[in-house]
Amino acid sequence: MYEQDLYEHADVVNELLARYGVKFGIYKNNVFREQLFPFDAIPRIIAKDEFAVLEKGLKQRVVALNLFLKDIYGKKQIIKDRVVPEEFVYASSGYLTECEGVCPVKDIYSHISGIDLVEGKNGQWYVLEDNLRVPSGASYPMIARELCRRSSPRTFMNVKLEDNRNYAELLRRAMDYVNVGGHSVILTPGRYNAAYFEHSYLAEQTGAHLVSGPELTVEDDMLYYIDSYGHKERVGVVYRRISDEYLDPMTFNPESVIGISHIYDVYRKGNVALMNAPGNGIADDKGLYYFVPKMVKYYLGEEPVLQNAPTYLPFYEEDMKYVLEKFDSLVLKDVAEAGGYGVVFGNKMTAEQKADFIALLKAEPRRFIAQEVIDFKDLDIKDQGKVVPRKADLRAFVLMADEPMVWKSGLTRFSRNPDSFIVNSSQGGGFKDTWVLSQ
Amino acid sequence: MGIISVTQMDELFWLGRYSERVYTTLRLFCRRYDMMLDELVGSYGEFCTMLEIPNVYTSSEDFKSRYAFDLENPDSIYSNLMRAYDNAIVLREEIGSETLSYIQLAIYEMNKAVISDAPMIELQRVMDNILAFWGIADDSMDSENSRNIIKIGKRVERIDLYGRLKLPRKEMKREIDRLTGRIDRCSVPYRKDVLKKLNELVAETQLDYHAIVQNIEQIV
Repeated sequence: MYEQDLYEHADVVNELLARYGVKFGIYKNNVFREQLFPFDAIPRIIAKDEFAVLEKGLKQRVVALNLFLKDIYGKKQIIKDRVVPEEFVYASSGYLTECEGVCPVKDIYSHISGIDLVEGKNGQWYVLEDNLRVPSGASYPMIARELCRRSSPRTFMNVKLEDNRNYAELLRRAMDYVNVGGHSVILTPGRYNAAYFEHSYLAEQTGAHLVSGPELTVEDDMLYYIDSYGHKERVGVVYRRISDEYLDPMTFNPESVIGISHIYDVYRKGNVALMNAPGNGIADDKGLYYFVPKMVKYYLGEEPVLQNAPTYLPFYEEDMKYVLEKFDSLVLKDVAEAGGYGVVFGNKMTAEQKADFIALLKAEPRRFIAQEVIDFKDLDIKDQGKVVPRKADLRAFVLMADEPMVWKSGLTRFSRNPDSFIVNSSQGGGFKDTWVLSQ
Repeated sequence: MGIISVTQMDELFWLGRYSERVYTTLRLFCRRYDMMLDELVGSYGEFCTMLEIPNVYTSSEDFKSRYAFDLENPDSIYSNLMRAYDNAIVLREEIGSETLSYIQLAIYEMNKAVISDAPMIELQRVMDNILAFWGIADDSMDSENSRNIIKIGKRVERIDLYGRLKLPRKEMKREIDRLTGRIDRCSVPYRKDVLKKLNELVAETQLDYHAIVQNIEQIV
């Protein structure tokens, strides 16, 4: 009954989201546009007990992934013990030789992890992918909750929820924990980045400085922020929202103009913390995803609480055979792509497309994974006044400080197209708040 | 926040300038719009001369539409509002989401004015939002330096516009006094010799408006 009040105020919430500039940038035909991220007021609701299981599994998974990263850039025991084949590590574009032997502050690699899950119709949650590089999206439900409470107070007087507006506190705690002395900054590629709203909003909410590359400089193996008086202020932690290859032109892509020359040397010497650590791409490679449950067992000696979606690696002969047999019932993903791109459904291809794809699959088996199409539980959304079911996923966030912390909410993204499984904002998807019941 | 970079200082300064430009030119435009309702000969040319902007308009109607609302026209009020937004949007963590939202609200009202039969109503709301923006910036921003940079931008723009409009000495002096009293309270580097010159110019018997405009443009 009280939720109904919230649904009726959906337009008000969307107006407020626009007022506060809750947008994302998108390039179409080489033109940059800022778009509102469509918000649906019907929340995803997760029961307290159900979330407790997710929380346990998320912590377990992220701890194991951190141990994997430490191992892979160190002793490589998991390869020596033949749990993960070396081909999957060294052939991955996420593996960076520059990170070999480099230990981040307090051995934390993934300070912020975004784990994408879906709920099957049987109530079983499956992990679809791990995002350990620069996962984005937490700011949207955080500000949406604030505005929903403002527009429909009665709803929140009557529903007992975990308050998700503490994300900035968790982030600040993660930043402070690894800060080696100095200012905390959020490094943005700039206003024309798709997630610029999030960068600026998180800077505002955490009290960190929002900076771009030219505002930072390296001197004597220290990183400094140059203020308007020309003074150099030491930086102790950088929550960087730019990808590895653009971070330091002296170490990675020499053509980067948004990075900071020699920042990687400062990091290597332990004089600044980088969140997340460079090189994390190896752990969220779609090919390595298959091995994450094995990592949990290997590093923690525990059974994984969370399950992967059933996945096949055409790299293995047996799996290739299965993929070719069941092609029409599988979804195939290019491990090098992200953002909902490089995803194809076997049953949606023409005969010609299928033949071409299979030829490519046979030529480059390491490049693809295949997964069973999970019959996700649809979530209701309001579309032009009608309530209709749509595919939706959940990005859960795990932050790492002295202990792993699971944010008691998440970004629920949904497809606005009734025939699509693709929920990404860049492809027209919308978002919902995620309510975790506190009682 | 405490410290800001040179880039942010520049953005704060221009946020102050563009917000002032929108506010003052809107006030002028609204007065001119009223005059033009029942005048026989279009006076928009005089308006352009006064502000030293190119007279690219073909009629009173063309002026009313394009000077106020044409985003392709770099001199239009709407274009200046968008420049204010461009500077504000990259300063969220410094000025705060609430402060930023008033620039966004001004844009919404401007969009409504574009399609309105009585745009003065919506344009009044644009001005209201600019005033609210300044008010909340002053009230809620932690950093005195940042607050003062916005105000210095406003003062510089206002002296520039008032000089072009040849406003009376009393108003010119008030603005130059305000600038003089505040400019040392922020990190904006400025030319002390130019500030001295401005104070001398406003004390002269006959005001040299051209010299005032030239000097104010060189102060920062």
